[in-house]
Amino acid sequence: MNLEVTQEKALELSDVHVTIRGSHILQGVNFGIEPGVVTGLLGRNGVGKSTTLRSIVGLVPRVGSIKLFGKEISNLKAHEVIRSGVSFVPEDREIFSTLTVLENLKLAERDKQPNYDIVYNLFPELLKRKNQRAGTLSGGQQQMVAIARALLNNSNLLLVDEPTKGLAPRLVTEVADALEVAAKSATILLVEQNLPLVKRIAKNIIVMDQGVVVHSGSPMDLENADFAQRMLGVSGGSH
Amino acid sequence: MNLLPSKYRFVPVVLMLLAAVSVFTPVVDDPGLQQTFAVAFLFAALALTYDLLLGFTGLLSFGHSLFYAAGAYGAAYAMARWEWQIIPATIFALFFATAIALFTGATALRVKGIAFAMVTLAFAEAGHVIATLNLWGLSNGDITLQLRPESVPEFFLGVNNTRNLFLLSLITLAIIYLAVWWLTQSSVGRVWQALRENEERVSVLGLRPFSFKLIAFVLAGVMAAFVGVVAVIVTNNANPSMGSTGTTISLLLMVILGGIATRWGAVIGGVLYVVLSQRLTTLNTEGALSSFPEWIGGPMSEPAFILGVIFILVVMFSPGGIAGALYRLKMKFGSSVK
Amino acid sequence: MEIFITLFITGVGLGALYFLVAAGLSLIYGLMDVLNFAHGAFLTAGAYATWYFTTYVRADGSLTSYAISLLIAGLVGALFAVATEQILIKYLYNRHIDQALVTVGLGFVAASAYLGWFGTDPLVVLPPVDLYNVVQIGDAFVGLDRFLYIGVAAIVLLANFLMLRYTRIGLIIRAGVENRNMVTALGIDVRKAFTFVFFIGGFAAGLGGALATTYASGVGPTLGDSFLIYAFITVVIGGMGSVPGTAIAAVLVGTTQVLVNYYVQGLGDFVVVLLLALVLLVRPQGLLGKVVR
Ligand SMILES: Nc1ncnc2c1ncn2[C@@H]1O[C@H](COP(=O)(O)OP(=O)(O)O)[C@@H](O)[C@H]1O
Ligand SMILES: [Mg+2]
Repeated sequence: MNLEVTQEKALELSDVHVTIRGSHILQGVNFGIEPGVVTGLLGRNGVGKSTTLRSIVGLVPRVGSIKLFGKEISNLKAHEVIRSGVSFVPEDREIFSTLTVLENLKLAERDKQPNYDIVYNLFPELLKRKNQRAGTLSGGQQQMVAIARALLNNSNLLLVDEPTKGLAPRLVTEVADALEVAAKSATILLVEQNLPLVKRIAKNIIVMDQGVVVHSGSPMDLENADFAQRMLGVSGGSH
Repeated sequence: MNLLPSKYRFVPVVLMLLAAVSVFTPVVDDPGLQQTFAVAFLFAALALTYDLLLGFTGLLSFGHSLFYAAGAYGAAYAMARWEWQIIPATIFALFFATAIALFTGATALRVKGIAFAMVTLAFAEAGHVIATLNLWGLSNGDITLQLRPESVPEFFLGVNNTRNLFLLSLITLAIIYLAVWWLTQSSVGRVWQALRENEERVSVLGLRPFSFKLIAFVLAGVMAAFVGVVAVIVTNNANPSMGSTGTTISLLLMVILGGIATRWGAVIGGVLYVVLSQRLTTLNTEGALSSFPEWIGGPMSEPAFILGVIFILVVMFSPGGIAGALYRLKMKFGSSVK
Repeated sequence: MEIFITLFITGVGLGALYFLVAAGLSLIYGLMDVLNFAHGAFLTAGAYATWYFTTYVRADGSLTSYAISLLIAGLVGALFAVATEQILIKYLYNRHIDQALVTVGLGFVAASAYLGWFGTDPLVVLPPVDLYNVVQIGDAFVGLDRFLYIGVAAIVLLANFLMLRYTRIGLIIRAGVENRNMVTALGIDVRKAFTFVFFIGGFAAGLGGALATTYASGVGPTLGDSFLIYAFITVVIGGMGSVPGTAIAAVLVGTTQVLVNYYVQGLGDFVVVLLLALVLLVRPQGLLGKVVR
């Protein structure tokens, strides 16, 4: 008997639909992700990757079934979803620019003993700048705050939306390292355009197109240039 | 009625209504009732002009009373101080209101949403202050600017002629209804409704939202001013409360109560609002509420209390107002017949 | 010069009253995008509470009774506000226009209920005689009550500042003003903060109502509404969601109104509304506020 089949999924979406102001954005999304590993969620711009993450969190009205380790969460409010052990790093960071770095982190505390050590070890910069207004940080530093907010608590599931968007190569490496550390203790669903990064840390990939999942497999698939071109509209295959 | 294309079906309805009422009026020979309905029709017309902004263009203005007052004061002033006749005074009032609407509209429309609501509120309040405090001796303040009898035809004067005032109001309502109907069906009207749904989509088409909104703002303002002129004839004066925020808020109540963006919803809301206000007051003076305990009977004797409660219930439980509720009933009924 | 000092302090005193109403409006709008037209009704409720307390419960005209009546007025305003949020606003979650409309309706209902209960004529509320004393500043004489308004408003401003700066709920409110959705995406039930801002907004408005009975020598059914318009103007000038901005704008509005009105009666009210139009056109987000959408 194949172990993979019976194993409980960390997250399972069945026939998830999202309609915002009349446009039908997710049109029946189905996928499951394995616990304990990083799964890459890929697809061209505008196919609904961010909306998928936001529907899991409950930030958009959604229909269908979303199960977190077997427990239905599609009827929960956003804060309840997060409180059941989900951390979310949104696209474009969405840090609070009028609050200080420390205030941003404090706001994100859920656990009794938030893990400031891990966070400050990964991003010593944040400790140095803890009393600086987050709005005055550089883009890379703001991304660190956004990731730090998620790593502060122990989570079952980490949803990360394009963490390297617009970052300098050096910072991309730093973010990748942070995600690898996080991957040791949590399941991660990662939306990412940077294919080398996906290949480095993801065990599985899911590809979306126009509001539905069109492929799931392994990052190896991306080695096939034709596949990458067809699915993602990029010339993949290189390292 | 099927002989007519659907977009003209309202014509016989309006004509029938006009005919019915003008036959019916001499029968109800009660000047009090006629006066009530005259005022009700004027408010219905005013609510229609407000719905043009709120319902059909999606502009939440808190300053609509400014134009109603501008029309009333413009005409009353030209008649009282310059001794003009009603027709030239009306024309003056309409130009006066247009100028104010152009200026305030062009200014207020530079911001959107709540900020727009606040700027319009501020302009209206400025007008209200001028009228209340009789700044620069323009308005006579609380003494009100009286209608100069010599400026209007004899058949509009005196209690014996209330029936004529009633008819004047009814005709005004019909004119405004037709104008609003025509405007909202026109190509400009369709742009307004597109603006209400999605402004970006309109700009993508190469149309300037600002210009279209300004047109709506000015037209609604001018029509409100026209109603204001008629109101001077019907109520014999122009007074500061015409320009108060309270007036705009009651228009808002009428439109929401009746049903937004339906045209006749505003008419029903306006008539109901005024008639209910007066009837509830009468009921109260007849002692209908004496069986209630004091703490609830007191507020109940204020028509605004009951209207406000109904309004809250409508907003919470029946979006679309009376028109929306009737529509839903019709749908239900229609489908059960099948 | 003396007259200027007297007028200026009177203007700041009036501004203090505006601030008490506007602070809550600003936080409520900033956090929830709800323009609360019922806020004037909270003020009036506080004012009637003061009248009732100082007329029927402790009519000794002492400063202590007056102080207690201020507290009671604040609590009455706060309870009214929380009830409004829990009974009406909460069920229209994310329907911002409907939320505003419901508060319009509530303001309407409340004003007519007050009319039905207390009648049209203002009820006289006499403050303790000590408040009629005047204070001499240079050659100018200023009524003591002005300083009371300013003092109470300053305490409320300070308490607001401390709450926003040093408490967790304050942190949530500041973050929520900036980005409400992201606060929930951090696992925080932001609706508790909604109830809380209604509580403090209602409390400040109730206090303002109690003091307004002294300023206006009484309370009538529309007392709150007459303050509400200028409080709106204050909030918009100061910037939605910014308490310091509201404080600055309140002083600006109050002093402008009093000073100009002294020279031409009524012109001050007129100038203030033009000031609003001007500020919004030059700086649509107000002096210190978040961008108005
Ligand atoms: N709030 C919204 N209102 C309307 N359309 C939206 C909204 N958010 C996203 N969309 C649309 O939904 C589609 C999917 O968006 P998104 O999930 O952000 O895609 P991705 O993250 O894959 O680039 C896009 O066409 C986008 O324009
Ligand atoms: Mg995206």
